[in-house]
Amino acid sequence: MNRDLIGVDIGGTFTDLVGYRNGEIVLAKTLTTPANPALGVATALELSNTRLTELQEFLHGSTIAINTVLERKGARTALLTTRGFRDVYEIGRGNRPEAFDLEFQRPRPLVARELRLEVDERLNARGEILVPIDPQQIEALGQQLSAHGVESVAICFLHAYANPIHEQAAGALLRERFPQLFVTLSHEILREYREYERSSTTVLNAYVGPRVKQYLRHLQADLRTRGFAGSMHIMRSNGGSMSLAHACEEPVSMMESGPVAGMIGAGEVARLLGIGQAIGFDMGGTTAKATLIIDGVPAIEEGYYIGGYASGQPMQLPVVAIVEVGAGGGSIAWRDVAGQVHVGPQSAGADPGPVCYGRGGAAATVTDANLLLGRLNANRFLGGGMTLDAAAAAQALDTTIAQPAGLGTTEAALGVVTIADTAMALAVRAVSVRKGIDPRDTTMIAFGGAGPLHAAALCKEIHIPRLVIPRMPGNFSALGMLLAPWRQDFVRTLIGVLGRLDPAWVDAAFGELRSQAEQQLHADRLAIDAARLDYAADLRYRGQEHSIPVPLDGPGSLCRAIQQVRDAFDALHERRYGHANAGEVIEVVNLRLTVSVPRAAESAYQFLGTPVTREPLRSTTIADDQAQFRNVVFADAECPVPARVLWRPELQPGELIAGPAIIEEPNSTTLLFPGDQARISVHGHIEITIHLPEGVSQ
Amino acid sequence: MNATATPRKVNPITQEVVTHSLVAYAEEMALALCKSAYNMMIYEVRDFCCGLIDTQGRMICQNEGGLPIFLADLGIAVLDGIERYGLDGFNPGDVIIMNHAGVCGQHLNNVVVYTPCFHQGKVVAFAANRAHWVDVGGLRTGFGNVQTYEIFHEGIQMRSIKIFEAGKRNDGVWQMIADNIRFPQASLGDFRAQMAACQLGARRLTELLQRYGEATVLACIERSWDQAETQARAVVAAIPDGRYSAETQLDSDGRRLNIPLRVKVSIEVTGSDFTIDYSEMNEQVPGPLNSGYSGGLSAARVAFKILTMPRAPVNEGCFRPLRLISPAGTMVNARPPAALGLWSIALPTVIDTVLRALAPALPGRIPAAHKGDMGGCSFYGQRAQSGERYVLMNIFGGGWGGRAQGDGESAAVSICQGDVRNTPVELQEIHYPFLVEHHRLRADSGGPGEHRGGLGVEIKYRALEPSTVNVMLERILVPPWGIAGGGSGQSNAALLQTHDAADRAVTKESNIALAPGDAITFSTAGGGGYGPASARDRTAVKEDLRQGYISPQHAEQAYGYSTDSNGGTP
Repeated sequence: MNRDLIGVDIGGTFTDLVGYRNGEIVLAKTLTTPANPALGVATALELSNTRLTELQEFLHGSTIAINTVLERKGARTALLTTRGFRDVYEIGRGNRPEAFDLEFQRPRPLVARELRLEVDERLNARGEILVPIDPQQIEALGQQLSAHGVESVAICFLHAYANPIHEQAAGALLRERFPQLFVTLSHEILREYREYERSSTTVLNAYVGPRVKQYLRHLQADLRTRGFAGSMHIMRSNGGSMSLAHACEEPVSMMESGPVAGMIGAGEVARLLGIGQAIGFDMGGTTAKATLIIDGVPAIEEGYYIGGYASGQPMQLPVVAIVEVGAGGGSIAWRDVAGQVHVGPQSAGADPGPVCYGRGGAAATVTDANLLLGRLNANRFLGGGMTLDAAAAAQALDTTIAQPAGLGTTEAALGVVTIADTAMALAVRAVSVRKGIDPRDTTMIAFGGAGPLHAAALCKEIHIPRLVIPRMPGNFSALGMLLAPWRQDFVRTLIGVLGRLDPAWVDAAFGELRSQAEQQLHADRLAIDAARLDYAADLRYRGQEHSIPVPLDGPGSLCRAIQQVRDAFDALHERRYGHANAGEVIEVVNLRLTVSVPRAAESAYQFLGTPVTREPLRSTTIADDQAQFRNVVFADAECPVPARVLWRPELQPGELIAGPAIIEEPNSTTLLFPGDQARISVHGHIEITIHLPEGVSQ
Repeated sequence: MNATATPRKVNPITQEVVTHSLVAYAEEMALALCKSAYNMMIYEVRDFCCGLIDTQGRMICQNEGGLPIFLADLGIAVLDGIERYGLDGFNPGDVIIMNHAGVCGQHLNNVVVYTPCFHQGKVVAFAANRAHWVDVGGLRTGFGNVQTYEIFHEGIQMRSIKIFEAGKRNDGVWQMIADNIRFPQASLGDFRAQMAACQLGARRLTELLQRYGEATVLACIERSWDQAETQARAVVAAIPDGRYSAETQLDSDGRRLNIPLRVKVSIEVTGSDFTIDYSEMNEQVPGPLNSGYSGGLSAARVAFKILTMPRAPVNEGCFRPLRLISPAGTMVNARPPAALGLWSIALPTVIDTVLRALAPALPGRIPAAHKGDMGGCSFYGQRAQSGERYVLMNIFGGGWGGRAQGDGESAAVSICQGDVRNTPVELQEIHYPFLVEHHRLRADSGGPGEHRGGLGVEIKYRALEPSTVNVMLERILVPPWGIAGGGSGQSNAALLQTHDAADRAVTKESNIALAPGDAITFSTAGGGGYGPASARDRTAVKEDLRQGYISPQHAEQAYGYSTDSNGGTP
């Protein structure tokens, strides 16, 4: 039986929808409606003729959480800490990664000092109570927070990872007595030691919580009133999904919700095409993102820094490693006081959007420039759903850039696109060259509405010889969502020596993780039998700090298959760091349980790997409008080159296309430069051999 | 590898790939070392550096992030080995260990490990790193001991010893090291991590040479040096020619607490050449607050890098415009057998003083002084139950100076420490018999100014078992100074509270016994202010008050801001 599901990704500019219905993919793309994103979702549903009543599952990715942090538009948040430690969150780790820069900036706290309040309570590192918590004090603090108009409160007590009893007590009281407060307890988010990173992660959750929760509940209510009765899942940064209810409590784990989905999809394409080293490249309206994908697996980091390592906010949860730059189709071109032209990071977003959208945008954007270069089709944008106004775009670019800079319109347009390409090249370099990976040994997999339009130029810039534009690039992030398993990582700190641990203690700790998992699965109406449970322990040689997660056969192996665990650790240590110290004392640091509920085989995986035949035309108006050739500016603003214009749904597997050419499809446009060669794969993906300048091989 | 070979033309893409790859290799080495190290001085404090060194001892690349003061001297250590063995005297599988004070000029804990890198049968470069071992024997446990007065008190010296020769370990040397240090398991674990990092770096470089050929790689390295030099020279050329001087002080050498030490530097700018002159620096001292030549060189290089190209990767070319005059016999170029235990303590002040000298030449670019010491604590003892020996070390941040563009940053590590991190309280309490009672910002510590100095921190430790602590404070006599009319920040301080004596302030003192219940509080300095306090925006003063960064008394005294008159001001 087919499970009908739909994925909707809401970006800064576009709302993308992909559905898998009766074994077929449906899709739609529409402008994001920032004031009420549910409207955009409704439009996309209508465009795709999706009847919510027939769906079993709704998957969703959104940039709302991360944008709330980056724009610092979160809730008025307070932080409760152990007495003596309210400044830990501001002191941080004291480090200055920009070691030689006198203008360095430390992370700016999301909670001002006046809203960081101390509680008389204290545990020691074993979790024993030294100073008991006083409910009356919590009650009084709650009153104080209410009086200050606080909407959300983060609680992070010392050693709560070892024993959450005080956080639980304070949390229960506040949740009961002040139900309007959004309460986040550190141990519920992250049960690992290191008070600063745990505080920051907890505060991030508190800071975005009220806004995200309101947004998700609103969306849910909207879908319910439209007759949707299935389950709702939200994409999370670790490359899996979670229930909507869970996302409302733990929105911090959806920080990289949107971008991750696309990279999961790119990983599947890489695996399908046998690409060992790939760079996933995703360009939307507001930003461009890159991720290194080895053997189909996007690189995962144990947390990251929102806003960059040097001055960003640490978020200590597993996340797909993505490098992002502020360049997208909507990025605004501007001149500084010295007359230098820049592009981004300000984006016109969806509202008002680029000038050519004719929705009141006055600032020329990358999309406007692409239109003026002939790279976009004014009559076929969003599959003909929108007509672009080239005259308005030209006028805006003239006024803001071309005339002041003494350039022709086309020249200025080419300059704007080139500057955006250079900025994006930095992101791609960061995941390749900077990691010691020669881009000449990689393949780029490009998607996002604007990705296929810029990818070939980037490949030339960085000398990536091969480019793949997967099917449905404009909806690819949403498609990736359909591939994401339900996944949750459970961790808790348990420090002891391997071989000397009390098995009863370990069994109890793993049992606790398992029962948490069962509760979560139950809450999400999933059966534990369908779930895959992966147990692991973080181990290190005693004296080391950093640990390596070592997979375990089961919860019992840690105490009952000690030699096997030891050997596995030694081998991993050797592989990772080039040396191992067999026989040394091994310390256990954290216990882990990763629970995932894989999707059934008949799901959207099939779609990427199913051979295609010629698809029927989607719209006769588009066919009528189809021009065979269009003048496109490539390298020289003075000399536009006639380029073949093709309609992707009509292309046959095995078909060869020589650049210069433009391949249009409903939600995206692929640009081939002169000399580039494209071939349509048996599965319908476009595989492009990039024509690189002479002498690049050395 | 001799990178002065005639540069040949290189494809710009290859140039970019090679240059970035070299930096990436240094970072990869650093990551491997940091993640598999055994002591917090490496994995938290990041007291190490990794890099590739050519056959003339020049820096091909070095990791970013760790300790800026390790800019100078991997090459010096490697050159000593080249002189001893000759380039023909290395074999694949050799691993050399080196911490000799007379050559390296640093405390003996800083141990250099390196391996030769071969291409087509000959040595072309060395992969090297230096890392802070938790212990090297001698009088000192942890850091901050001020009792030593010659290098022989400070531990075991290893001068360019092949601890592995053609892949075979020298068990005699190994045994001798293990028997003469306090935490052999940790230090030798660190050694293995260092060795693995070198092998990784050497392997990566070999791959690069095989792929692009030696001539191309050499040309790329040479060009990256030239590019760095060009950038640096352009910045120096923009500084008005002239001779600039400044003089400040350090408190003492740790043995004679009443004798301050002179820190005097002169800078000569001529065209694109930049000379730092240490001729009038304090003579070398009986206590351990000395460094060898490389200590002074490191400070000069850090100051130069800050001034010229703070954001670019580090290589030999960055420092070509810099000349150093550093006569032997001063505290930044001490003659053997001077004690070097506190080798780095003078360096933040030396750098601050170089910057101060240049303030008139670079208006608006030089901030007020920062907290000025390396800021840390070091406890040691034996666990009551297990009898296991431990050492607890932590590094504290402090205030940085106000600057033209705004207030100074609070709670940040010194100018000699970059991506160096404090130790989480939870981690300290998991491993060591202490309870930390608070870790907070130090209100009122920032120097008054139009742009206020950043705040220091306060951290209070209470001992749960008998323990021992070393205290090593600096820059009390000359607190972090203001600039352009700004006031000074509060000085570093430590308060000892024991069961058997009155509370007392401590500055430099070693092996202080703590009984269970005894406590010590460290308060780090605030940064100096920038511009006169009277020019500070009143709303900023009010906001500081609201957030508790300053007290009402301080607002009144330093800013003439009275809370009684409801925010009014004369």
